[in-house]
Amino acid sequence: MTEPLISARNIKKYFDVKGGKLKAVDGISFDIYPQETFGLVGESGCGKSTAGRTIVRLYEPTDGELIFNGQNIYNLPRKEMQEVRRDFQMIFQDPYASLNPRMTVEDIVAEPLDIYQAWKTRAERSDRVIELLRLVGLNDEHVLRFPHEFSGGQRQRIGIARALALHPKFIVCDEPISALDVSIQAQVVNLLKKLQNELGLTYMFIAHDLSMVRYISDRVGVMYLGHMMELAKSDELYSNPLHPYTKALLSAIPIPDPEIQKNRKRIMLEGDVPSPINPKEGCRFVDRCQYAKDICRKETPKFEEKKENHFAACHIV
Amino acid sequence: MEKVLEVKDLRISFQTFFGEVEAVRGITFDVGKKETVAIVGESGCGKSVTASGIMQLLPMPPAFFKGGEIFFNGENLLNKTEKQMQGIRGNKISMVFQDPMTSLNPTMKIGKQIVEGLVKHRNMSRGEATAKAIEMLDLVAVPQPERRINQYPHEFSGGMRQRVMIALAMVCNPQLLIADEPTTALDVTVQAQILELMNKLQDQLGMSIILITHDLGIVADVSDRVVVMYAGQILEVGLTEEIYASPKHPYTRKLLASVPRLDMSREEPLYSIDGTPPDLYVPPKGCSFYDRCTEAMKICKDQMPELYGHSITHQSRCWLNHPMAQRINSANRSEGR
Repeated sequence: MTEPLISARNIKKYFDVKGGKLKAVDGISFDIYPQETFGLVGESGCGKSTAGRTIVRLYEPTDGELIFNGQNIYNLPRKEMQEVRRDFQMIFQDPYASLNPRMTVEDIVAEPLDIYQAWKTRAERSDRVIELLRLVGLNDEHVLRFPHEFSGGQRQRIGIARALALHPKFIVCDEPISALDVSIQAQVVNLLKKLQNELGLTYMFIAHDLSMVRYISDRVGVMYLGHMMELAKSDELYSNPLHPYTKALLSAIPIPDPEIQKNRKRIMLEGDVPSPINPKEGCRFVDRCQYAKDICRKETPKFEEKKENHFAACHIV
Repeated sequence: MEKVLEVKDLRISFQTFFGEVEAVRGITFDVGKKETVAIVGESGCGKSVTASGIMQLLPMPPAFFKGGEIFFNGENLLNKTEKQMQGIRGNKISMVFQDPMTSLNPTMKIGKQIVEGLVKHRNMSRGEATAKAIEMLDLVAVPQPERRINQYPHEFSGGMRQRVMIALAMVCNPQLLIADEPTTALDVTVQAQILELMNKLQDQLGMSIILITHDLGIVADVSDRVVVMYAGQILEVGLTEEIYASPKHPYTRKLLASVPRLDMSREEPLYSIDGTPPDLYVPPKGCSFYDRCTEAMKICKDQMPELYGHSITHQSRCWLNHPMAQRINSANRSEGR
């Protein structure tokens, strides 16, 4: 097996809030291998975006290790961290909010280059910008325009161009397509796949659209209330889900085919996701789980390998 | 089937600084009793404007009705005065809005917001109305309704707020419910709960639903008929089974193909529709999908196709479906460009 590009070990991120600690991410571990796409899914509030941001150290982690190139980047001082950041980039969810409306496309895309002084002459800078824009399917003429002149899909392309500027190895895509229309989503996903093949990128793809995650990811992790519930190869996870939460989540996806959809049995989950503030000991899913036993309330299940390369945290499986 | 709503050649435009935007350009459809009709399309295709137009909730100006008629139980809503519309809105026709976070009044208790409609439309006393409100919250599966009616919207989660919105919309037993992306802001598990709930209530109360969405999975799940909109026009309409099993318009076909399915291989590239919808300041003379259509012909650019029938229920607006076009094989189609 190849060496993982990134190993996350027991990452925790707590926020101090009124009334205690909000445990957004509470000890998740996983590896991401070079040139793969690691999908992270879960409902809103499960901590998937916090996990993504903690991994690139936009949030200071409360605890845990992130091994990249043999070193734990959470211990690096600011200066060295900045060097590592070249390899870590992020694509954000909202293409309307993540581009500065007062900057031209050229300045937006060149900003990482400016920060790392990656150019010597002005001409070199604009050449690189044009190269990047072409790579993501935009034209030279877009260089001097402002973000408001673009549609959502095009803006997301600008965000992708900016993320690619410094030849990163690893990109965290935080719901990059959920703000886009169906027909535009496919364009952006195909672009991400193409870039991965051409540039050998590694992605962490955070989303709540499970069918899209299955399509784009090699392996998928399912999060619930700060815990990783299940992790497996994408085909395996979708055809043989082990955890009751994954099963319910998968059965809730509407399938665009009336024949199948009308005869399908859904597992209905009662209630809502509980509050992540001061969560109780025990399995996080216990209150909504139809198989819950006493042990589930007392003991937090370990996240362990139940089948080959198929991990789950559940007492019952 | 008895028709609750009939929209005929409806045209809605907005007067803006840059000129007129034709948001809805002549759409015709109807909704039968107890039927669920889904309107699907991308953002900006005019589906929400259509919904607000039926309710007459559009700000006028800038919006104005350029033409057409909206018959509700045989009466044209466009001839009603604002006073008369107030008697219909929330009473006979109700609406569930997309964003449960912003469509409830944050300064009013949930109970009061539900009671308001009952007092106005049903002439109930406050006491009776409160009892009805509790009953309604119970029906939409909000736990502990007696306690919950005295709470404010911020004390509810997204899914619970959407339930309150549905309770609010249904409390007067409307004949028609217009749900504008009712589950877009919600998670899949909650979405499944809400859709199940709407289905159950439809059976119990016998109302018709117009479901506006861009999620083709939901459409397959709950709707009887589908209206596909694009750039302010209806491109295809048919029974749900017809639309999914044999889509006749290239746009519908492409839209269906661009959704990843759980049973598709990860190796094949996702079908994507290149380009973006046309600018409605200058609506195209011909077919509005011309620029993005891979099967476009010369005529598509210059002339708007009519709706051609495939069955009594299934129609599409595409030159390829013109009765005379049958003999042209698909190889010749692309040469027209």
